[in-house]
Amino acid sequence: MKQRTFIWLSLFPAFLLLAVFTFYPFLRGVIMAFQNYELFNLNNVDFIGLQNFETAFRDSKFLTALQNSVYWVFFSLVFQFFIGLALALMLKKQFRGRGVYQGFVFYSWALSGFLIGLIWKWLFNSQYGVINDLLLKIGIIHERIGFLSDPHWAMFSVIVANVWYGIAFFAIMLLAALQSVPGELYEAADIDGANAFRQFFNVTLPYIMPTIIATTLLRVIWIFNDPTLIYGMTNGGPAGSTHVLSSLLMEKLLAGNYGMASAIGVIMLAILMLYTIFYLFVTKSEKVGDF
Amino acid sequence: MFTQSGMKTISKLAVSSVAMALVLSACGGNDNNNSSGASAGASAGSSAGGEKVKLRMIESLTSDTRTAELQKMIDAFEKANSNIDVELISPPFDQADNKIRTMLSAKEDIDIVEARDLNVAEFVNNGYLEPLNEYTKNWSEFSTVTKTALDVGSIGDKLYFISNGLYQRQMFYRADWLKDAGIAVPKTYQELVDASIKLTDKSKNRYGFSFRGGPGANSVPDTMVLAYNGANVNTSDAMFLNDGKSIYSSPEAKQALDLYLKLFKEGSPADSVGWGFSEQVQAFTSGVTAFLLQDPDVINTLKDGMEEGTWATAPMPTGPSGVALISAGGAGWGITSFSTKKEAAWKLIEFLSSNEQNVEWSKSYGTIPIHSTATEDAYFNDGPYKTLLDMTADPKTFVNYKPPFNYPANSKFGTVSMETGQQMLLGKASVEETLAKWDKFWIDAKAELDAK
Repeated sequence: MKQRTFIWLSLFPAFLLLAVFTFYPFLRGVIMAFQNYELFNLNNVDFIGLQNFETAFRDSKFLTALQNSVYWVFFSLVFQFFIGLALALMLKKQFRGRGVYQGFVFYSWALSGFLIGLIWKWLFNSQYGVINDLLLKIGIIHERIGFLSDPHWAMFSVIVANVWYGIAFFAIMLLAALQSVPGELYEAADIDGANAFRQFFNVTLPYIMPTIIATTLLRVIWIFNDPTLIYGMTNGGPAGSTHVLSSLLMEKLLAGNYGMASAIGVIMLAILMLYTIFYLFVTKSEKVGDF
Repeated sequence: MFTQSGMKTISKLAVSSVAMALVLSACGGNDNNNSSGASAGASAGSSAGGEKVKLRMIESLTSDTRTAELQKMIDAFEKANSNIDVELISPPFDQADNKIRTMLSAKEDIDIVEARDLNVAEFVNNGYLEPLNEYTKNWSEFSTVTKTALDVGSIGDKLYFISNGLYQRQMFYRADWLKDAGIAVPKTYQELVDASIKLTDKSKNRYGFSFRGGPGANSVPDTMVLAYNGANVNTSDAMFLNDGKSIYSSPEAKQALDLYLKLFKEGSPADSVGWGFSEQVQAFTSGVTAFLLQDPDVINTLKDGMEEGTWATAPMPTGPSGVALISAGGAGWGITSFSTKKEAAWKLIEFLSSNEQNVEWSKSYGTIPIHSTATEDAYFNDGPYKTLLDMTADPKTFVNYKPPFNYPANSKFGTVSMETGQQMLLGKASVEETLAKWDKFWIDAKAELDAK
């Protein structure tokens, strides 16, 4: 009995920390989503039911952001994954200077998203940007392209930056998985006469599948939730055409409209929950490994 | 196993924003508690005169050079008043006003605050600022403070901040480019647009106008609409015409905005749809654009970054009736209503606002001085400042108006105008639709003001 009390007492600090720093803010945020909670009008905070959600779904800016979020996550993920996988396969082979090369490949992952946003903002700049300059010099274009100011290009441009940012993550994770595939399997496959193609699909891929499922799931959540790159590059502009849900949430938050920001947060949470359940269901979660 | 950690990540990420809010409000609460303790001690100090008084002041228009200059003035003050210590808080410009707002609403321990023309009404409404009229009675230099400087800091007949410098738009242009192209300095908006289009040469990456479609975008279309409405504008309620309709409702407004759109499409870089202050100025100094409409605080930047003789200043362009509407803006030092060290705070404001300090500050930072005596200084009678004095000397052409700072909705118009304006610039909305949106904004704003 005494021991039991001791166990509970020992657990208490952890519970307290979780309650104060994770669950209380979470609950408070959900509550705020149903209030007209504005930082500059705090004397007048009331429950307003679903009004924030209604306003959101009537706002064309929100709908654009919702649509952009789909593009943003899908294209970023697909290109990050396939380029990352290709890099991992290339790095799997032993060659001179592989360690150094790996360092170069992986370094983008160590930079802050906001910083990467600023770097790409300059690269894409239409007056001074190096991308426009190169394209002009090669002769592919004759007039500078406003990559970040033309709504037709802006979403493409931020996705390119995001692909660059995220490749390293997949390369690191998939390389680790590839290196854990036992060499005997390939020897056995060789003896059975399987070519490289067959080896990839029948040995490599099944072996790294749990990692693929786990990393893509995680990555979707991260890409979906991360506003820093867009905040640094376009801040949602021009005319709201590059807002995704997370950057729109940030804009509402900085404008002091916490009620609206929380409502968007709750919507994002709902989307991610549905997605996760769906994803784990179709990919049969028992395949997902611990890592 | 994974499902669990995955869910945890989801909830953690999704609530991180809310956690941020919580941290903000929690900080406010704590500091508030501290302040009551600290200020009690300090007020005792000021009455006894022996102990040190500690003042806390916060600035809004932060920049590296400006903060350094301000700190220099504060150091001089501390030297002359050994019993007063001043702590200067300098939040980054982008967030400064929000931070000030939050600190004031939490009644944090702030004695001196930099209020701006555009938020003074809001601060006064909330009872954050102390009227300064009593304090100015014993100020020997008060008589030379210009009327404009007093106007920007006043609500009704009460003075709430002593302006630290005034801003007024003028035109900066590339004198060398105009000379080479044989173009006269534009006097009207039509001439400005024509010249901009003529000077635009995309192959050389050269454009006419330093356009600003990002933060602060409303300034150029608004001044153009005002100039085109000319004498019809109610100068004491300048978002409205004499007949009570908004300035965006007239046919002249459409003319002005059509021209503005043309200026963007044919005379400005396409990228400028997202430009704010720094991009706009950068484009001018780096030789991408020929015209810039800006306040005098860019003068020192231009002096540092450009060769002498390549640029010059001219008065603001006028509308078809030969009139331009102008206004001076400013920020300045006010005392918080809840400060317990008001006497010491005023002492610092009086020091910073003296002619001697203010003239030095105006020169180094690039604002118009607040004392009438300063205009005698040769520095302001010559070079880039001269056009500002010329404009003041010709009030028939350059008609003064009162910006709508008394409207609570005014602070939101910048964002609304930027977003709807960008849609128009990008061809997603017509000029008429955009004018209708702005018209509706101000009709609603007036209804909100009248309801108070």
